[in-house]
This record gives sequence, structure tokens and C-alpha cells, in this order.
Amino acid sequence: MGAGKTTAIQAVSEIDVVSTEASNSERHLVDKPTTTVALDYGEILVDGEEKIRLYGIPGQRRFDFMWAILKRRAQGMVLLVNNDAPDPVAEMLAYLDDFRELYDRGGVVVGISRSDIAPEPDLATYADAIALAHAGKVVPVFTVDPRNNDDMRMVLLALIANIEMRALFATVERDAI
Amino acid sequence: MNAAVHRNPAVISAASSILDEMKSVSSSLDYAALLTDDGFDIARLPGETDGARFASMASSMQALGDAVTHELKIGNSEYIIIASAKGYVVQLRVPGHPMVLSALFDNDATVGSALAIARSFVQKMATLLTETASREPEMTSPDSGKNL
Amino acid sequence: MATEWNQAGEDSAAGTDEISATAITSEPPTTAGWEQAAVAMNSVLQLSIPMLMKMEFDAHDPLFIDFRYRAFAWSTPLSAFPEDAVLAGLQTQPTDLEAGLLFDLPGQPLDGLLWLIGLNSFHGARAPWLAPNERYKLSRWPNLTQHRHTMRQMQMLAVLGNAYVSAGELADMAGVDNSEAQSLINALSLLRILNRSVQAPAAVVAAPQATKRESLFSRLRARLGR
Repeated sequence: MGAGKTTAIQAVSEIDVVSTEASNSERHLVDKPTTTVALDYGEILVDGEEKIRLYGIPGQRRFDFMWAILKRRAQGMVLLVNNDAPDPVAEMLAYLDDFRELYDRGGVVVGISRSDIAPEPDLATYADAIALAHAGKVVPVFTVDPRNNDDMRMVLLALIANIEMRALFATVERDAI
Repeated sequence: MNAAVHRNPAVISAASSILDEMKSVSSSLDYAALLTDDGFDIARLPGETDGARFASMASSMQALGDAVTHELKIGNSEYIIIASAKGYVVQLRVPGHPMVLSALFDNDATVGSALAIARSFVQKMATLLTETASREPEMTSPDSGKNL
Repeated sequence: MATEWNQAGEDSAAGTDEISATAITSEPPTTAGWEQAAVAMNSVLQLSIPMLMKMEFDAHDPLFIDFRYRAFAWSTPLSAFPEDAVLAGLQTQPTDLEAGLLFDLPGQPLDGLLWLIGLNSFHGARAPWLAPNERYKLSRWPNLTQHRHTMRQMQMLAVLGNAYVSAGELADMAGVDNSEAQSLINALSLLRILNRSVQAPAAVVAAPQATKRESLFSRLRARLGR
């Protein structure tokens, strides 16, 4: 919660983002007036016939029924983690577990927000934690500013590049030990 | 720091009394809950439903309902009805507060009567909240999230 | 600003006056460009002991590196990185964690410098610390929001993140020159985020590389104008 998902979709969407914000009851935990309770929806048009649909779903666990709905539809996921949170590495690992199917397909990129305010943990720490929990699968992890169009576009491109390359090498994985 | 609305004892007690009263006037009410806009369970009638999960889902539904009506430029969503073979879920906002009533009626009630009951009780809830707020100055004001 | 760093160096226990040449490199460079710097930096990073480094140039202020904090200080911004800078001198000095600062922290993050030096040394040839007959795989991605990069490099990173490949195989899969692939491998190796293996077999590609329809990546890249 509070990592910048709604902001990030707004930065990259070519249509006005449909958002579903509600008044935040937990301002003592995360100081923002609203929070997403269903999903944000944005789009990028690729060419005449194709578009990329962007869904921003709530990170709070009580909305995990939403995750289940979207996991089925999604090809990939950008996981935004607030480096200012109490244990962001543990949170990231928990989400990687929750979204295991996407992760197995190479469909996860992690964006660490607010690393300018909270420089630790650093990226190497995240990479080590991933390697420990899931040996052999390299997940791109970048520091990002969710308000920055360029950052979010780059993250999206890295996600797609990773998914497509992973698919090409998929049989190697299955034959390996 | 402010207590969250759904943990405020005065609000919980007001909500519980409203739901109890609702149950007493409507025998076809199978389940009901009052929840915050962002999906926290304030009070609910006893039953097998997972109250926390239901509250989150109801809040998503409410928000999606508003998204649809805004997209169609027809204002806010006033109520949402989900009809199934075994009953209706009727859902609507407590006027003036970031709170939603979601109630399940069995098929003995007509949609019209279910809606009428739900409407009268959200109005009662709104009145009760305002009275409670004015009686207890330190209570978190539900619609502003600030101490009075 | 250069004056401040010099003073900081002189005031600190290390002191630029006292930086003496070590066995790593002490002679004036024989070639222009960043090769010598890359080799020296790679050696220090490989040894993984606390070190200070000073580079002097014909046309730029000195560059100071404090490996203890993975930081550097230089008046030339990386956005104006001089690919053909002429190195006039390079000195290294072992230090320890208690010794004074060479420049005010935090300085600039060393990774940014390693990325650019790695890409711009050796002109597409294999870095001398790498061996022939090796395959490579990323241990982690470089932080692309902080490094200027091309889409071809991103595509190569996606390959390297998912399979062990040699420079030649990488070039084929990404549709780039060998020199481009090798330069990226050099940089990633300098950043120490590359796993090296002589045993890893050639990666089997599941689908034909040339498909009639361009990949989503290419089409999105065109769309986003990069």
C-alpha cells in the first residue's frame, strides 16, 4: 500500500485512467487520503489492432480475490515496492509467492520506489533475497519514480522483453535438473 | 493518532444496533454488514460469511459501480443489486459518510421492499452517526478522518 | 569543486600527496581511452579490499574513487562522459575503514561509472580478465533507470537474464554485432553482476528466432518512440 501503483499507471497510460479510489481508513499507517479498492485501468495502444491493458490492483491482502481475477488475465506484472516500508524485502518475496505463475513465466519486474528517501535496502539485497528463495530465476529489479513517464515505460519494456525471451528459452528450463 | 473508523467503539456500537434493528423488522434478511468505503468490516450480523472478505468485496463492487456510472455520466451509483436464484444482495451508501450497507435478502422479500428497508436503515445510520459524533467530541469524524 | 576534493584528499589521513603507486599499476598509460582504468578497477573489485584510486586526465579534472563506499567524485558529469579521454596517470592506494574520507560522501554511485567505463573500454573486444569459451548469465539486472542504455541492450539483458550464452550467441539472438554484445558483457562483468561458466551448454531456443510478426517488444518500443 502506498508504493505508487495508481500514479505509475497514470504516468504511462494513454487513456484517462479509470480509478476506483475510496477514503482511506488507515491514515495512521499510510498517510494518503484515498486507496484503490477495486482496480485502476489504463491502456497503451500498440498499433491499430492491439493494446496493452494496464491494471493497478490493491496490494492489501484483503483484496486478494482481485489478484485471483487478474492473475488469470495477466501476461506480466510490475511489482512496486515502497523502500520506506518496514520490511520491503519480505513483502516482495511474499508477493512473488502469491504471483508464482507469473513469476515462473518471467513475467515479473520489481520497481523500488522512494529509494531516494530510503536508500536501504539496496538492489543487491533484493537480488540476493530472490536468488536465495528462487535459485536460477533472475527478476529485473530497478529503482523507479512512479511519477516519471520514462521510468515506467522502461519498466514496461523490460517486462515484455523478459517475458518474450523467457518463452524462447522455456524448453531449456524443463530439461534442466 | 486517530483510531480507524472501523475500530471506533461508538461507531461499531451504532452499526451493530442498526443491524440488529434491521433484522428485527425483516425476517427475510439473511445477512447484513456495514463496512468502510475501503473495505473494512465495521459490524455484521452473525452467519457463516467471512465478514472481512465480504467487506473487501463489497467495497470493490461499490467502487466499480461508481466507476460505471461516472463513465456513463449518470452521476453516482445509488444502489447496487445482485440477484441470484436464492436471494438478492442490496448494497448502498450511508449518506454523508464513507460507509456502505450491504444486505442479503432471501426471495421472500421483493426487491422493492428490500430496497425500501435498506434505504430507511442507511438513513437511520447516518442520523445515528451524526448524533454520536456530536455527543463525543474526541471521536473521529467519519467523513473527514480528523479529530473534531 | 576540484579544489575541494583535493583539499579533502590532502586533509584526510589518506592524502592525495601520499597516494603511492602500487603493484596494480604505476606506469603512465600507453594507450588512450579507458582500458587501463577498466583493468585497474576490475582488479580492485576482484580483490575486494578497501582501496582508493585517483585518475588524472589531459583534459579533465582528476577522478577520485573510494571503493570502501562504492563512490566516486568527478567534476565531469556522467551525462558528458568522454569516451576518448586520455588518461595521464592512475594511482591506487590500499586503505582501511577507519582512514579518513577522500571526498565528501555520498559522492556519486560507482555503478554509473563502471557501466560507462565497461561499455567504452576495449572497443568491442573481450576484456582481458574474461576467458574465451565462456558463457554468461546475469546474476541480477543493472539498474536501468540510472544508466543510459539502448533498446538493443535491453533485449540483450533479457537474453542474459534467462540463459547462459556466449558473446557470439548473444549477438545472434539479439541481432547485433559481436562488438556490441561483447561491450555489454564487459560492462556487466565489471559491475560484477555476471555469472561465468565454461560448462554451461549452449542454450536451446524453443521457437524460431525470425518470426513473420514482430515481437510485442519491438512494436511497443516503436510506439513509445525509443
